[in-house]
Amino acid sequence: MMIWLRKNLFRSVGDSLVTVIAGSLSLYVLFRIVRFVAVTGRWQVVETNLALLVNGAWPTDEIGRLSATIVLLGFLGGVASAVAGLVTSDVDSEPPTLFQKALDLAIRLWPLALIVGLVLLLSTTTGPLLLTVGVVGAVTVGRLLGGLLPGRVRPVVIVVALFGALASIWFMSFGHSWDDWGGILVNFFLAAISISLCFPIGVILALGRRSEFPILRMLSTVFIELFRGVPLIALLLMAKNTLGFFVPQEFTPGAAVRAIVVFVLFTSAYVAEIVRGGLQSVPKGQIEAARANGLTPIPTTFRIVLPQALRNVIPALVGQFISLFKDTTLAGVALGFLDLLEGGQAITQQAEFRGQGLVIETLAFVGLLFWAGSYTMSRESQRLESKLGVGSR
Amino acid sequence: MNELTNQQPVPSDARVFNDATQLATNVEPMIELRGVYKRYGSFEALKNIDVTVGKQEVVVVIGPSGSGKSTLIRCINRLEVHDEGTIVVDGIELSDDVKKILQVRRNTNMVFQSFNLYPHLTVLDNITLSPRLVRKQSRKVAEAKAMELLERVKIPDQALKYPGQLSGGQQQRVAIARSLAMEPNVILFDEPTSALDPEMISEVLEVMTDLARSGMTMIVVTHEMGFARQVADRVVFMDSGEIVEVGDPEHFFTTPDEPRAQAFLSQIL
Ligand SMILES: Nc1ncnc2c1ncn2[C@@H]1O[C@H](COP(=O)(O)OP(=O)(O)OP(=O)(O)O)[C@@H](O)[C@H]1O
Ligand SMILES: [Mg+2]
Repeated sequence: MMIWLRKNLFRSVGDSLVTVIAGSLSLYVLFRIVRFVAVTGRWQVVETNLALLVNGAWPTDEIGRLSATIVLLGFLGGVASAVAGLVTSDVDSEPPTLFQKALDLAIRLWPLALIVGLVLLLSTTTGPLLLTVGVVGAVTVGRLLGGLLPGRVRPVVIVVALFGALASIWFMSFGHSWDDWGGILVNFFLAAISISLCFPIGVILALGRRSEFPILRMLSTVFIELFRGVPLIALLLMAKNTLGFFVPQEFTPGAAVRAIVVFVLFTSAYVAEIVRGGLQSVPKGQIEAARANGLTPIPTTFRIVLPQALRNVIPALVGQFISLFKDTTLAGVALGFLDLLEGGQAITQQAEFRGQGLVIETLAFVGLLFWAGSYTMSRESQRLESKLGVGSR
Repeated sequence: MNELTNQQPVPSDARVFNDATQLATNVEPMIELRGVYKRYGSFEALKNIDVTVGKQEVVVVIGPSGSGKSTLIRCINRLEVHDEGTIVVDGIELSDDVKKILQVRRNTNMVFQSFNLYPHLTVLDNITLSPRLVRKQSRKVAEAKAMELLERVKIPDQALKYPGQLSGGQQQRVAIARSLAMEPNVILFDEPTSALDPEMISEVLEVMTDLARSGMTMIVVTHEMGFARQVADRVVFMDSGEIVEVGDPEHFFTTPDEPRAQAFLSQIL
């Protein structure tokens, strides 16, 4: 320990100086944060409005439908993750012990656990606790069942899980029109739906841009350059204000659909460029080997080139998805959702909290929730990357 | 394995060559090139190539860097498109007809200098992918066959590993097994040992020698003179896109006719 300290922090006078200055600064910041969280922070505003921040003004008698959907999503997620795990299982390493598994889970999921713990602590009803137990159970059962499925049904299972998830979200919107959803629920669902749609569209656009057919190439290029060139907020405002010019009043879609369409158009343009970079990173020899080995262009693309291309761009792709997750707050700004951010601002204007400068507390809470989601996505992507890295040269 | 060594190719002294680029009269042709040109802009990478390779024949192609060796064999499976002349492989003439190209690529296969194994697939999947997708074999049949082939190239214990976990020599043997899995009539080798450390070269050459003995038709671009002398039926020497000399290996390596071949050999031997 002492040796480590000396070697890494106090090797020379300059090093020691940097260590002392940086160390005291960090300690000071840490002290301020702890004091804010534990002593000076006025968390009553968050505590009172917890439900609003989490699920918006969801009608109480429809909470059952909401909970059921979330449990179902947990189950589908569990199945999908188990099936995806089969694809990437490492042949060389020995299976981890139960303790290692638990430790691994704790390291991976502590930010989520922290958020859930915080919400449970602040909430006064038993509903959230039951829901948490339900979701954890559903994920576990899903993973176990997914693990039992034979390998060859994998792609089917993943597609079914995806459509199942979209369908169950749709089912949820019967209970409470999704234009009125609020809280982090809105951010989560806008992001989840947009990501699942923009990924395949982006891949198709990337392939289109490299295709041999001039028309496909041109259409893809125009699409990509068009939507990459406009600020997202401008697109969202256009979706709000100018859609009426193009579509008759009776057919204009609701705010949620508009937001999703904009996110998908915008992000798929970026995904396309990321994937195109990945396609370019696959050596020409791979395509030649596939051709020489008798494969036709379509299997060459989907079995040989795309898997390698996508693996190479996981970090950039996930970065784009994280940005989309955070950009869902712009839908709140432009289209008037009371999402996590807008809701967080609004509650400081309630009669009992107005004029007390509570925006710091609510923004801290809002920021923490977004951070936990983004950090988990980034963490999981690194894990996926290293798992898939087994096959790298 | 014995089954491989039993089938000896026609001994080369039984052949009567009229013109060295042509075949002995008693051998059926597998690959025929007539007046083939390949151009990159105004640069001629192949000039008026005329050569015929017989069934079960092993032809070694040598020549200085940039002489067009790779271009020549890559035209045979249409990785490059030739500009003039005709190329007939196993009775099928290469043209823009996609079906014919696919047929030729089914009947031939290629082993590359840089292996070009699929890094995201296991050794077993590397070998079985084309048989399953192109020849519509069931996974079971394809895997059984793949294990047999891995046995034949002497690495059955590596089946579940990924290419990145193997040595160069092992990777190249997997590549050969992958080619064989499609049961081709011809295998084209483009400097298969040039990227290997010396101690791994012999293990690959051994497999290739076995293959030649089993009666596979092979065109091999290589600088391995020992292999050429022992295994080749004929040696083709290329320079600046032309075939300069064709002869049986003993004659070619001891007393080449052409000055350019003499100069090349004196440099590398
Ligand atoms: N795509 C291309 N564009 C332009 N010129 C090319 C291209 N491919 C090959 N050439 C040229 O064609 C000539 C023959 O190339 P080729 O690769 O067939 O030579 P090689 O005999 O295989 O050489 P090496 O022993 O270095 O592999 C070279 O001069 C090369 O520069
Ligand atoms: Mg070459």
